[in-house]
Amino acid sequence: MPEDKKKVNLFTSKKSTWCPMCPNFHILAGVKKFVEDEINSGKKKEDFAMVAGIGCHAKIFDYLDLQGLNTLHGRVPPVCMGLKIGNPNINVLGFSGDGDAYAEGMEHTIHAARYNSNWKYVIHNNQVFSLTIGQPTPTTEVGFKEKTTPLGVKMQPINPIKLMLSAGASFVARVFADVKQIDWVLKEAIKHRGFAFIEVLQPCIIFHEHAMKYKERLYSLEESGHDKTSMEQAMKKADEFDYNNANKIPIGVFYQVERPIFEDGFPQLKNLKNGLKGIKR
Amino acid sequence: MKRYNILFGGKAGQGPNLITNLIGGALIKRGYYVFYARDYQSLIRGGHNFNVLTFSNEPVYSNDSKLDVIICMDEETEKIHQKDLKKDGFILKGSSDNMYYAGRIFKMLGMDLKELENALKELKNFENNMQAAKKGYEEEKNTLCETISSKKKLYFGSGTENIAIGAIDSGLDFYCAYPMTPSTPLLGELAGRQIEENFIVLELDSEISVIGAAIGTAITGAKAMVGTSGGGYDLMTEFVSMAGMAEIPLVIYLAQRPGPSTGLPTYTAQGDLNLARHSGHGEFIRTVFAPGDINECQELASQAFYFSQKYKIPSIVLNDKHLAESFYTSTEVPKLIHSEKTTFLRKYNSYEHGEDGIVTEDSEVVNQNVKKRFAKQEEIKKDAKKFTRYKILGDKDSSNMIVSWGSTKGAILDAMKDFEVQFLQIIYMDPFPEEIEEIIDGKNLILIENNATGQLGSLIREKTGVLISERNKILRYDGRPFLADELRGEIKRRLR
Repeated sequence: MPEDKKKVNLFTSKKSTWCPMCPNFHILAGVKKFVEDEINSGKKKEDFAMVAGIGCHAKIFDYLDLQGLNTLHGRVPPVCMGLKIGNPNINVLGFSGDGDAYAEGMEHTIHAARYNSNWKYVIHNNQVFSLTIGQPTPTTEVGFKEKTTPLGVKMQPINPIKLMLSAGASFVARVFADVKQIDWVLKEAIKHRGFAFIEVLQPCIIFHEHAMKYKERLYSLEESGHDKTSMEQAMKKADEFDYNNANKIPIGVFYQVERPIFEDGFPQLKNLKNGLKGIKR
Repeated sequence: MKRYNILFGGKAGQGPNLITNLIGGALIKRGYYVFYARDYQSLIRGGHNFNVLTFSNEPVYSNDSKLDVIICMDEETEKIHQKDLKKDGFILKGSSDNMYYAGRIFKMLGMDLKELENALKELKNFENNMQAAKKGYEEEKNTLCETISSKKKLYFGSGTENIAIGAIDSGLDFYCAYPMTPSTPLLGELAGRQIEENFIVLELDSEISVIGAAIGTAITGAKAMVGTSGGGYDLMTEFVSMAGMAEIPLVIYLAQRPGPSTGLPTYTAQGDLNLARHSGHGEFIRTVFAPGDINECQELASQAFYFSQKYKIPSIVLNDKHLAESFYTSTEVPKLIHSEKTTFLRKYNSYEHGEDGIVTEDSEVVNQNVKKRFAKQEEIKKDAKKFTRYKILGDKDSSNMIVSWGSTKGAILDAMKDFEVQFLQIIYMDPFPEEIEEIIDGKNLILIENNATGQLGSLIREKTGVLISERNKILRYDGRPFLADELRGEIKRRLR
């Protein structure tokens, strides 16, 4: 029913300052597509809120016309949870980079998995600090050399998928920075009642361009018959690509399980129409 | 009228608080003014904890160093405190049961066993408690004083309880904290009332998460408050700065304990006035209020919500362990102010931003933003004049003037009674009442603070140019509160 489709404008007037051809454009387009479709199937723009950290990824806050907060580096998860407490009825999308989620804000990412508050966390993982021009992050591969690391990175990268599985995340997924994949994974995540961890491989074309070759190594978990209800299988799949090796890279939902969400623990949050603001005393 | 001091000492876990509350409550019912402070160590069982309860026919707000009765629930108590016993004082020992001593004290105060029985009925283990209390009551032969009975209506409560009352009255929606003494009692107090009063209380994994979540709720329109002490507040300050930039209302309960670093976790200090005033990077405005009694705890919690909501700024209530955890008698009725909610969900930004909440680096917009944010400071200064920003107590004609702030108020009020001296209590630390310059001009100023550097003295110097001489600074920085009788001597030596 195309005539019923509301005209939704989700872009702001802000001119983009991402580098031309940056994969972040794909993420932006994918998120926009997802929100537009949600609005066209009955939700309102005001039913969504977004939170971004600091880094290249966070510019998405300026380009998407959604309410929310462009918060501090690493501090996306607690703000997202605050939004859900303040108004459990809004759909909250958090955006972070790998510096945000795995370096400065690692503790928040782990606790977010544990709390299982009903919001969705999108990590733009480009395996490098780009906005500060090319320093290694916790997911940078061994041997990476740039201006601040002339001797090459010595530390092993962490594997965020394994980290989230062991932290108890109820939804763990990885996709590549591609419009269709982003739109698809967000649609899966919004159906999930609870915290959703979504890592997006988003190669930086300036400081980590070799990761563009990941595209040739991707394969779909869904099509390979992966059982996303099995923690054992999820761990095995998570182990295949360790952000360092040249193995095939599984994408899709690694793991999904239903468990009580954070908001369920508070009787005060039941039946709120307009969030805490609406409480009558 | 004479002041009586009773010390309840024992190991952590022996229930010194229960018995102190019991005796305090009974005395309040009879129309006595009661004050008690808690001295406890950073451990769960064992060690040496004690409470000192001071009561009188006239208002009391502090303890003295000399004791009329020492209750020894363990042997350690007698060893440590017997040097402080008055010549005609009593040492009560021979049992480790707190209720046994409750019975003895009731007898010593000439109160009826029936009164104790009624009070015990409201507690657990009535049978056992009553048996021990009866034994103590029957064994005791001495009299401390014959208590009177008056119809005075007195209220008994702690600083913590009154911060909670002020916050709830202001329409608190969300309180978030990470455990840290001495702010933790507020977390417990509010957690216990969240269902009946319909707000949310949450403990999170770090002070950073705490303030992040509070700001998340605040931008949905909720009235949010966080609580912590110095070290935890250090972690929060990046977000305090962000609240300044993004113009988000937030109330911060900062309960001081001695630092630097981990310091003395369970003791008291006024070392974080500078921290509260200057915390957070960059330049932004805030309010900082310091209550000196339980009444002001209610009023300033209420005013913190008022200013934070109206001007969309962080507002700090600066308390300390002594006021937070001591119990005071009050006859006054606090004046609380209603605060309107001002915030709704839109785009907020930690970067400099335009009115649409989107990042900007435009020099003209930045200039306008900074001016707009600081324009609020003048409005706040004007608005603040409708509240009590400082108090002048005592003999208003005296050329001697004590200057202080926060919980030292109690001991000062008790210590100054015998002298012709006035007392200037500063309550608003930011915005600072600069007009006090005229009041302090030409006076013999005596500065009293629970810190090592005289931070209020420096603030007065900064705002008024008036310098308080080193010899007129009475500073205590061992984590203990001032005691009225000792402070009396210190003040006397400095009078002119």
